[in-house]
Order: sequence, then structure tokens, then C-alpha cells
Amino acid sequence: MNKLMVDSINQNMDEIIECWIAQMKEEKGERFFHFMPEHLVEKTSREFAELMTSNIMETTAIDSDKLNDFTEKIVRFGWSIKFVNKAIDNFSFVVFGLLEKKGIMNDSNLRQFVETITRWISPLRESIIDAYSAEWERTVSLQKIALQELSASLIPVFDKISVMPLVGTIDTERAKLIMENLLEGVVSQRAEVVLLDITGVPVVDTMVAHHIIQAADAVRLVGAKCMLVGIRPEIAQTIVALGINLHDFTTKSTLQKGMQAALAMTNREIVEVDGE
Amino acid sequence: MKTRIPILKLNDVLIVSIQWELDDQTAIQFQEDLLTKMHETSALGVVIDLTPIDFIDSFIAKVLGDVINMTGLMGAKVVITGIQPAVAITLIELGIRMENVMTALDLENGLDKLYKELEA
Amino acid sequence: MSYRSSVEIYTEWDIVAARQLGRNEAKKTGFGTVDQARITTAISELARNIYLYAGKGKIEIERISENGAFGIKIIASDEGPGISDLRKVMEDGYSTSGGLGAGMPGVKRLMDEFKVVSEPGVGTTITAKKWLH
Repeated sequence: MNKLMVDSINQNMDEIIECWIAQMKEEKGERFFHFMPEHLVEKTSREFAELMTSNIMETTAIDSDKLNDFTEKIVRFGWSIKFVNKAIDNFSFVVFGLLEKKGIMNDSNLRQFVETITRWISPLRESIIDAYSAEWERTVSLQKIALQELSASLIPVFDKISVMPLVGTIDTERAKLIMENLLEGVVSQRAEVVLLDITGVPVVDTMVAHHIIQAADAVRLVGAKCMLVGIRPEIAQTIVALGINLHDFTTKSTLQKGMQAALAMTNREIVEVDGE
Repeated sequence: MKTRIPILKLNDVLIVSIQWELDDQTAIQFQEDLLTKMHETSALGVVIDLTPIDFIDSFIAKVLGDVINMTGLMGAKVVITGIQPAVAITLIELGIRMENVMTALDLENGLDKLYKELEA
Repeated sequence: MSYRSSVEIYTEWDIVAARQLGRNEAKKTGFGTVDQARITTAISELARNIYLYAGKGKIEIERISENGAFGIKIIASDEGPGISDLRKVMEDGYSTSGGLGAGMPGVKRLMDEFKVVSEPGVGTTITAKKWLH
């Protein structure tokens, strides 16, 4: 009987896929099946159906390469895990419908079929969701690395003067990275003054201030001076309201003012030259 | 085994380059040697270069801090040079800020800073 | 699989030996220069505490792995007088030796995990871990 079921699924694959696509198109908030080009929908659906039927014979196992390829693809397409789950549900509904229509399944053997199909679909669902979450985790960790790469670099601007623009929220992990980049940069660029620009830091709380103070202290130990620039009015307000003491450091409201001060510290200034 | 850190005199300045990891005895010996040398030569300034040193713990930091304070009492100025990034970070994390210490990137900058300070 | 090596602390020279061992192990584990300095410094502080307060004890260093993460574990143990007021020891600036008083809270900041078990009259065991990120 299982053989009969497998044969009829294989023979009617095109119909199953068509029905399945129709059902998926009816899902609320679904974009993929409406906006993607027809051939891509067709191809993806066929791959999904192949994956779904890959373990239909009890002797064949789920092809893990195919599974990983497919999940990587749907994560890229932006299928949510809920939607993936729905896709699996719909697929088994369509199969039920087909078996019923063909008269293979009837009231007398319904129970048996439910069991067979559950035993077929359940491990499949587990594997797909597993692969999906693994793929998702991989994506998140890649993004984390990408975030770290954009973290902070020290830019030499003039002889003896470098600038580090800080963008985004600073947590402990990032603060450590910033400190290392800052110090390595100061030593390799032989900077005497570094400007930490916090224009792009949305919130300066006690912890962030603490990290900045530590970084400035460490810069002093390696033999340079650290200046904090880009202090917006609301940041100045929070710093004072929180009672954070930044008296030991030079601070300026803008990078421009900071740069002038840094030039003055290294006995230089910018002069305008008259044009002829 | 007792190692001593060489202390060189250049005009009014004493130059010390610490080349290898300091053990406690050597650090204390250094403190004594430097003060004696200061007294003998009446030097006005000291530059201590730490470029090759890859870690400083609280004990060595204390000895260095003491040396700087004692030298100050004897009327001389001290500049520490060449503190490595890794060393600076560990010192700060240990909670050692070395607040009243003059620092410079390297020996050359350190001597510049010291001469400027002595002129002032 | 883990590798454990240890240094007995009796004299000041053993402090140097312990931190040298720590530095080598940290390097072999794959830590960068900053973390090497953190680990070496932490070992130096722990070994000095043993030398100063317990007279003798042991520093053990082990390369560890847990849930796919790799790292290094330092165990400092002695059978000395123990620590009677743990909270006080963990305060910044507290010292009974005339040092900078940076020792214990400093070690905690340098490492990722830090645990003290101490019983007055029996001894102290400090375990600290650093993970490779």
C-alpha cells in the first residue's frame, strides 16, 4: 500500500506542485509567490517538493546537502519559519487531497494513511526547521563579524593627529575592540593627539562614559593625548545629569573645533592663503 | 642570579631601558640603583623606556610609581616611554591609572618632552 | 581533551615561572597579544597573593574547551590562612600588603570568569577562565 501511495505521488507530482503553489498564494502576508518571477517560483517549488519526497521510501534518508542548499535559499528569500512550517502543512494537505481523489485513501484505511504520512512528514519537518535555524544562526554570526569589522578604525589625518569616529551603540565587547584598535593605531601611526568622535553614538550612559574614560587613560599611558569630540547638547545633558566626571579630558563640541585644538597642541595652525 | 638594569647618563638626563621581564628583586634593586645614581650625578630628568616589556603587574607598577615619586622628591622629572598597547590595557583593567606620570610614545619623543619640561 | 600544567609557588622566582608558563599556554591556545598580557598579569597577581599570604601553594594552567569555545583556566590554590572577608578583598584599593590593592578585583576584570572558594584556616582556591572570542 505504501508503494501505491509513493507511485501515485510521483506520478502526480505536477498536479501536487500546482495545487501547493495555489494554496501558498492564499497565505496572508505572503510576498514570495506573488512577486517573484514565475520560473523562480516554479523552480523553488519543485526543489521543495523533491526535498519533501526525498525520504518517502522508508529506505531512503533525507539528503542533507539538498536540505542545506534549500534552507540557505529560503532564508535568503526571506521565508519566515512560520511560513516554512505552513508550506510543509500545505504540502501534506495537498497529498491527502490527492490520495483521496484518486480513491487510494478511503474511510477504511484512513487511520493507516494518517500514520504513514505522519511518520514521513514529522522527521522531515524537524530536519527542515533544524537546518533553517542553523542557517539563521550562521547568518547572525556573519552579521556580527561584519559589524565588528566596521567597528572602529583610527584614521591618520595630519602628522601626529588621528581621528576615530565611533558609530552605533557601544557595549563591553565593542568597547574592548575599540580600545585595542585605538592603542595599536596610536602606536603604529605615532599619533600624539587622538580625537574620539562620538557624533554617531546615540546614547552615552555611565557604562559608555566609563569605557571612554578607560580608553583615554590607556591612550595617555602609551604616550598620547585623547580628546573627546562631537558632544551633542543632549549628550552633554545626560553626562552632567548622570554625574559623570569628564573633567580630566579635553572635550569639544565638534570635530572641527577638536582638530583646531589638536593642531594647537602640536604647535601648528591652519592659515588661509591669499589667492592671486 | 642577580641582574641589574643599566642606567646611562646623557648630560643632565639618565636613560634607562628595561630590556627583559622584571622580577621582584631586580625591580627593587633598580629602585635603589636609580636613586643612588640620581644622587651621584644630580641629574634633572629620567627617561625609562619599557618598549620590550609585554606585561606589568600591580607589584611592578607600584615599584615604578614609587620610583617616580621618589625621583620627584629628589627634584627630578621622569618620563615613561614605550608602554605597549597590551600593557596599557591590562594596567587600566587592573585599576592602575598612573595618573601623575608623564608618558611618551618612544625614547625620542620622551627626551623631547623631558627637555621641554625642564626648560619651562 | 585538556592539558594541565602546574607550578608550585614557594619563592619569588616561582612567580616568574608561573607567568612564563601562562604566557606560553596563552600563546599556544591562540590568544592575541592583549589577552596574553591579561592572562600573564592575572597569573602574576594570583601567584603573588599565594607567595605573600599563604607562603606556598600552586598555580595550575589548563587549556579548556566547552560547547565549541576554547579557552584557558587558571587555578590558584593554597592551604594558607584563607580569606576572612571576601567582600573586602574584592573592593578596589583594599590591600593588606602595602601594594596597590589592585590584585583581586583587577584579576576579575582581566578574566572572563572568576570564582573564589575560601575557608579561614583551611585555604583558598581561585578559579579564573578566559575564553577565546
